[in-house]
This record gives sequence, structure tokens and C-alpha cells, in this order.
Amino acid sequence: MLKIDNLVCGYGRMQVLENVSLEIGAESVGLFGPNGAGKSTLISATMGMIKPWKGSIEFNGESLLGKETYQMARLGIALVPQERELFPGMSVEDNLMLGAAYIPHAQAKSEQQIEKVFTLFPILKERRKQYAGTMSGGQQRMVAIARALMSDPKLLILDEPSLGLQPSIVAEVFDVLKELKKTVSILVTEQNVRESLKAIDRGCVLENGKIVLEDSADGLKTNPYVLKSYLGL
Amino acid sequence: MKRATSYILPVALVALGVLFPLFFGPYPQTVARTIFKYMALALTWDMLFRSGQVSFGIAGFFGLGTYAAALLALKAGFSYPLAILAGALISGIFAYILGFLVLRLRGTYFSITTLALAEIFRVILRNWTSFSGGPEGIVLPQIIFNGDSRCLYWIGLAVLLVVVVVSQYFEKSKLHFSLISIRDNEVSAQTSGVNIFRTLLVVFTVTSFLQGLIGAVDVVSVGYAMPDSAFDSNYTLLPLAMALLGGQHSTWGPIIGSVLLGVASEYLKLKIPYGHLLVYGVIIILVILFMPEGLIGLFRKKKGAKRG
Repeated sequence: MLKIDNLVCGYGRMQVLENVSLEIGAESVGLFGPNGAGKSTLISATMGMIKPWKGSIEFNGESLLGKETYQMARLGIALVPQERELFPGMSVEDNLMLGAAYIPHAQAKSEQQIEKVFTLFPILKERRKQYAGTMSGGQQRMVAIARALMSDPKLLILDEPSLGLQPSIVAEVFDVLKELKKTVSILVTEQNVRESLKAIDRGCVLENGKIVLEDSADGLKTNPYVLKSYLGL
Repeated sequence: MKRATSYILPVALVALGVLFPLFFGPYPQTVARTIFKYMALALTWDMLFRSGQVSFGIAGFFGLGTYAAALLALKAGFSYPLAILAGALISGIFAYILGFLVLRLRGTYFSITTLALAEIFRVILRNWTSFSGGPEGIVLPQIIFNGDSRCLYWIGLAVLLVVVVVSQYFEKSKLHFSLISIRDNEVSAQTSGVNIFRTLLVVFTVTSFLQGLIGAVDVVSVGYAMPDSAFDSNYTLLPLAMALLGGQHSTWGPIIGSVLLGVASEYLKLKIPYGHLLVYGVIIILVILFMPEGLIGLFRKKKGAKRG
């Protein structure tokens, strides 16, 4: 589905990613690593928000290089950005409907889609008339995920979905992802390795712009390096 | 039921607007025409502002429509209706080209570019005497409808209604979503599939077309155009003040703001000539300090509080 090959990328003259290759099929993949490792850069490059220096990015055999962000969205890649991801001045319902409004293949079935999303996040149905900006951090994150789902994506990318949330909400978010991975491919960047392991099939560890480790979720759980550096055991 | 009642007020206002000249003489009609002109300009400014982009180019596009229509009527022998349409189109096309060049830069860069527009046009038209008549401007052989004040009033009202309808379309259609999304969060707008550049280009072109239309109708209604009056900075500042006073991001806000400021300025012009500008300045400062969302914002707050 998504195929990133030998990607080199950075900002200005500072190189961040060094020959990163990553392939995602019909599965859920976690991307781990400390702050500054290049996780968000990798996502920005995939979404066309920054220009890769070298390498290729393909989605279902189609090159994404030179495409604009809104085109990625229309191809079926939905991003839940790291923060400030909502339209605070719109109601929850409008936020969700906007997620489908500009995606041709999703717009026709937005009514069914919103019902699906409401079953996944019942709280959003209750609050659908409320301004999104007035909700709690956890609820806002749910609106952001729900809005991404409204576009009926083939690949859902989440950039640190647990950032700034209380533990019980974090657990809830990953429970939802565990449910979602049955129907959509997922790429999730995280620092909270422990929680995210339950929602992924496979994980990569990115450090200083290079992928240093790649293994199944079970393999990561027992990997001594992961245990020591990321799970603190 | 709620739907039906929500139509009563607009329909009543339009009826009142249309019938107004049957009961009032030329002077009130002229005052109303001026208010309509500014109201229409305030609305066009707000329509683009709903996307978060601040344009200072109102006077530029208004004046461009004015001069294009006047010159085409005078030199190319266009009939007035054709000249009006051409004036509006030229403004729109110019905005499209300019937008294509600068709308990739948004926010301040865009604002500054539009700020320079009116001044550039004004300097060119002042100095290109053989083409534009220089500082004295151009005088048209006759005023449209032979200067019949009622007809002039109605054509001004017609232009305003066109602008109101487009503004309502912006507010009720899908475009509303993309405009707010661009204003709120560009990254999320893009990742939701909104083509920001194209959306802004369309809105900038449409609103500039309308500003050109207002200018073109204005020039055939007064019969002359001068660089200093066509590109008067008041055409940028007053609509902005009216939209801010009434309440931004809506159709009603600029309408209410322009009626209040329009009537007030007419009264103040009689009492203290040129002092009305002072009052405008004070109003803008007070509005920004105490009700940043304008009168409509106060109303919304009250309504929200009642609902609990």
C-alpha cells in the first residue's frame, strides 16, 4: 500500500532522515523513537507537507512525489496531526462532515460513515452540536480521529495520538485503534510504546533519522533493547 | 415553521428597500445609495475575511472597475450595461492573475500586496494623461437612466442584492466549510482534502469581481471618475470599519454595521464636516477593545447565554 524507499529529507540545510525505507501493507505499523528522531518529518514528507530530497514514496503503485497534501487526502491517506488538529469554531458534527466533504469517494456516503463513527465514539454523538474547541483534550483527539475516518481512508496516519492525554484516555485511544486496524491500514508514531503495542502488528524504531530496529509486536515486547530504552524494564 | 419565519425579515427588508423611493425624495435616496455601496463593499471584504485573509485591496478593485467601465464607455463606445459587465470582469481577471501570483503566500504577505494596489493604479492613472485624462479624470457624456434618481437608487439596490445573494451562498454552501477550515487550521484543512490555494483564488476572484461591479455601477451613476476619488482609501477603510462594527464572518454583520456607520456619517458630515472620520476612528478602537466580534457577536453571546 504505502512504500517509502530510501527517503532522504530535512529542513533547510539540516538533514533529518537518512535513507529511510518503510513498507506498509494491510496492517498496523508503529513508528517509535525519541523526540527529534524524525518521526514527524517522515509523516510530513509522506503527506507532501515537506519536499523529500531523495528517494521515493508510492501509494498503491502511484508516486506521491510532487503531489499536494489535499491530493494525498483524496487518494485515501488520512492524517491525524500531532496537535491543534481541530476546527474549534465549528460544531463537532461540522468538523466530522468536513472530513468527508472534500473527498469525492467519501462524500456520497458521509451519512453512513458518520453513523459508523458515532458507534465507535458514542460521546461524540451526544455532543455533536457542541463547539469542538470547548471539549476536553481527550474528546478533541477523538474528534480528530473521527474526522480522519470520515474520509473513508485506506491508510490512517496518526502522529503521537497519546500526546498530552491522561493515561485512561490513552488506553481508550489505543483500544479504538485496535478495533480500527481490522478495516484500515494504520501507521502510528508514538513515544508510549507500552500502550501502542496492543494496537499494532509490527513496529519500527527510528533513531537519529535511521531505522535501527524492525520487528513484530511480539518480537518488540521481548527485545532487550526495546525493553531497556522504551519500556524502562 | 422556523424556516418560514426566518424568511420574513429578509423579505420585508427587501420590500422596504424596493419601495423606499416611492415615499422618500432624492436626498434620502442618495444617502441610501451611498450606504448600499459601502454595504456591498463591506460584504465583499468580509466574504474573503471568512477565510482569515485580510484584503486591503477593496479600493483598488473598486477603482479598477470604475475606470475600466468609464474608459470602455467613453473610448470604445461600449453601452453602459456592457461597460459595467466589462468593468467587473476586468477586476475579476486582474484579481485572478494577482491571486495566482501571491495567494501561495497567505496572511500578512497577501495583505501587504493588496495594500499597494490602489496606490499603484492611482499613480498610473494620474500620470498617464493621454489615456486616462490625468488628475482631472474623465467625464462621461451622460449619466445612466438620464440621472433619474429612483432608477439610480434601484440599480444600486440591485447590485447590493447580488452581493447579498453571493454572500449567502458562501455562508450556506460547502464553501463555508472550507473557508472556516482555512481560517482555523490550514494543516487540518489540507489533510481533510481542502485545496486551499484554489479555494482562496476563487473567493478572491469572485469578491474582486463584485468590487469591480460596484465601482462600475457607481461611475455610470455619478458620471465621472477621478484617480483620487475612484481609489480613495475610504473605499478600503470604511467597509472594513463597518464589517468590524457589525460583526465579522457573516452576512448580517456588515449589513448592520454599514447602516449604523452610514447614517451616522451622513449626520456627522452636516454637524462637523470631516469630523466624522474622527468618530470612525474612535468607533473602531472601541469595537476592537470591547466587542471584538462586533454587534452580531454580542447578540450571539446573549442568545447563547439564554440557551444555557
